[in-house]
Amino acid sequence: MTNFSPKSWDQASKPHLFCPGCGHAIALKQLGYAIDELGIQKETALGIDIGCSLLAWNFFDVNTVQTHHGRTTPVMVGYKMAQPEKIVLAYMGDGGGYAIGLQSLIHAAFRNNPITVVLINNENYAMTGGQMSPTTETGIKTTTSPLGKDIKFGPGFKGPELLKNIASPKAFIARASVSNPIQLKDFLAKAIKNQSENSSFSFVEVLSICPTNWKTDVKQSFDKLKEMEKYYPLGEL
Amino acid sequence: MEEKIIKIILAGEGGQGIQTAAKVISAAAAEAGFEVSYIPSFGVEQRGSPSVAFITISPKEIHYPRFDNANITMILQQRAIAAVLKYIDAQTTVIFDSSTIQPTLFKNQAKKILGIPAMKLVSEGSLPKASNILMAGVLAQLLGLPDVSTWQVIVKTLGKKFKTEADKEKNRQIFLLGKKFKLEENSFSQPILIPQSGQIKIEGEGKRAIIIPERCKSCGLCIARCPAGALAFGQKLGLFSLPIPEVDLKKCTACDTCSRFCPDGAIKIKKIN
Repeated sequence: MTNFSPKSWDQASKPHLFCPGCGHAIALKQLGYAIDELGIQKETALGIDIGCSLLAWNFFDVNTVQTHHGRTTPVMVGYKMAQPEKIVLAYMGDGGGYAIGLQSLIHAAFRNNPITVVLINNENYAMTGGQMSPTTETGIKTTTSPLGKDIKFGPGFKGPELLKNIASPKAFIARASVSNPIQLKDFLAKAIKNQSENSSFSFVEVLSICPTNWKTDVKQSFDKLKEMEKYYPLGEL
Repeated sequence: MEEKIIKIILAGEGGQGIQTAAKVISAAAAEAGFEVSYIPSFGVEQRGSPSVAFITISPKEIHYPRFDNANITMILQQRAIAAVLKYIDAQTTVIFDSSTIQPTLFKNQAKKILGIPAMKLVSEGSLPKASNILMAGVLAQLLGLPDVSTWQVIVKTLGKKFKTEADKEKNRQIFLLGKKFKLEENSFSQPILIPQSGQIKIEGEGKRAIIIPERCKSCGLCIARCPAGALAFGQKLGLFSLPIPEVDLKKCTACDTCSRFCPDGAIKIKKIN
C-alpha cells in the first residue's frame, strides 16, 4: 500500500522544510493530487516566489524555477510564450502576489496569459517573522501591528475580486481554503484545465493557516481560518 | 572563569531556542564583566533547519570574532551536527543531548565529550520546550556564571513568555537542574527519544493504518480534523521527538480525511478485504 502522498512529490526531499502544521504543505498536497489526476507531471513547469512559498523549491518532481520577489507571474508568462505546450504554474504567497507583484498579476490577468497562478493567503509575511501584509484584516495582531491592524493601513485585500473586474470572461478565478482540501483540489484541477483547454488565465487564492506566526495551536488555527472565510468568501467568481 | 578567550558554539534546530539560550549566556557573561561577541547563523526557515550561534567570551576587547575552532560545542539536535563538525578539534569539549543523539559522529575528534539527557529531563519536568533553559544552565555551570544574575537575565529575556508564577518557578528549577547537573562522561544515556524508523502498521476491523514516524512533525492536524475522533496522541515519537498520533480502528471509518490533510504524507488508513 502506497500513496501516502501524491506521486508527483519528490520523496527524497521529505520531510520537507515547512513548519509543523503549515497550510502551504496542505495546499501543495492538493496541487500534487491535481497534477496526478490530470497526468501532467512531465509537462509541468512550476515557478516559485520569495517567501515561505520558496520552500517548495524541491517539493515536486517537476521542473521548478526560483524567481525574484513578486516576479513569478511575468517569468512564467514568458516561459509559457516560449514553451506553449507546457503547463505553467506560478506559486506565491500574499506578500509576493498582492504587494510587490500586484502589477504583474494584474497585467497577466488583463492580457489573459494562459498560466495558472496559485496564491497562498495566510494574512502575513510568514518567513520574516509574521509582519502585517495587505491581506491582514483590520484588528488582527501581527509583529508590525501589535495593537491590531489600524484601518489606515487598509482593510484585508481581496485579490480575486479585483482580478475578476479586469480579467477576460474566459478566465477562471476562485478562492479556496485548506479547511476544505477536496474543493481546493477540484479548483486547482479546473484552473489547470482552463489553462490547457481554454488557453486562458486562471487564478486560485488559497486561504491558509500559519500556526508558527499566528502563535496558535491546531484548533485555534482552524477557528481563525473560519473567521477568515467569513471575510474572504470561498467559491468560484 | 580563566583569563583567556572562550569560544562557544550552540547548535540545534530552528525552533529549539538556540538563539535564545545564546542571548542569555552572552548577556550573563557581559554582566559578569567580560567582553562578548554573539553571532547567530540560521537558514531562511523558522523551523526545521540547523540554527547555530557563535559566542566569543573574552577578558579583553574582541577586535574580530574569528571562528576557527570552538572550546565548547553544544549540540541539541542530531541533524545540526554536520553544520558544526568542522569547528570540533582536539581542544573542544562537546556537550550533547544524550537522550536524542548518538555520539558516534564526533567521537574521535573532540578532546572531551559530555552528555546530558536534556530532552528526557525537560519532558520529565513537564516543560518539553525548555531544553534551551536547561542547556543555558549547563553553560553557566561550565563558565562559572553566578546563579542569581544569570536567572535574572533569563527572566529579562523571556519574561513575557512565563504566563504564570508557577511557570516561572518550573523554568527556574530546570535552569538550576542544568546548573547543578553532573554531566555524563564516558558512559552516556541511551538515545531513547528518537523517531522510530520504518512504518507503524496496525490492522483490525477490516482496516489497515500505516504511520511513518520519521515524517510526522506532531502538528496534530489529523487529530483536529478527524470527524470520528479516532486519532489521539500516543506514546511513540516522531521527527521532533514529540508524540505522534495513534489510531483507534474501532472508531475509524477510513474516510481518508487524515491523509488528505497530513502536510507531510505521514499517515494513511485504508479498508482491506
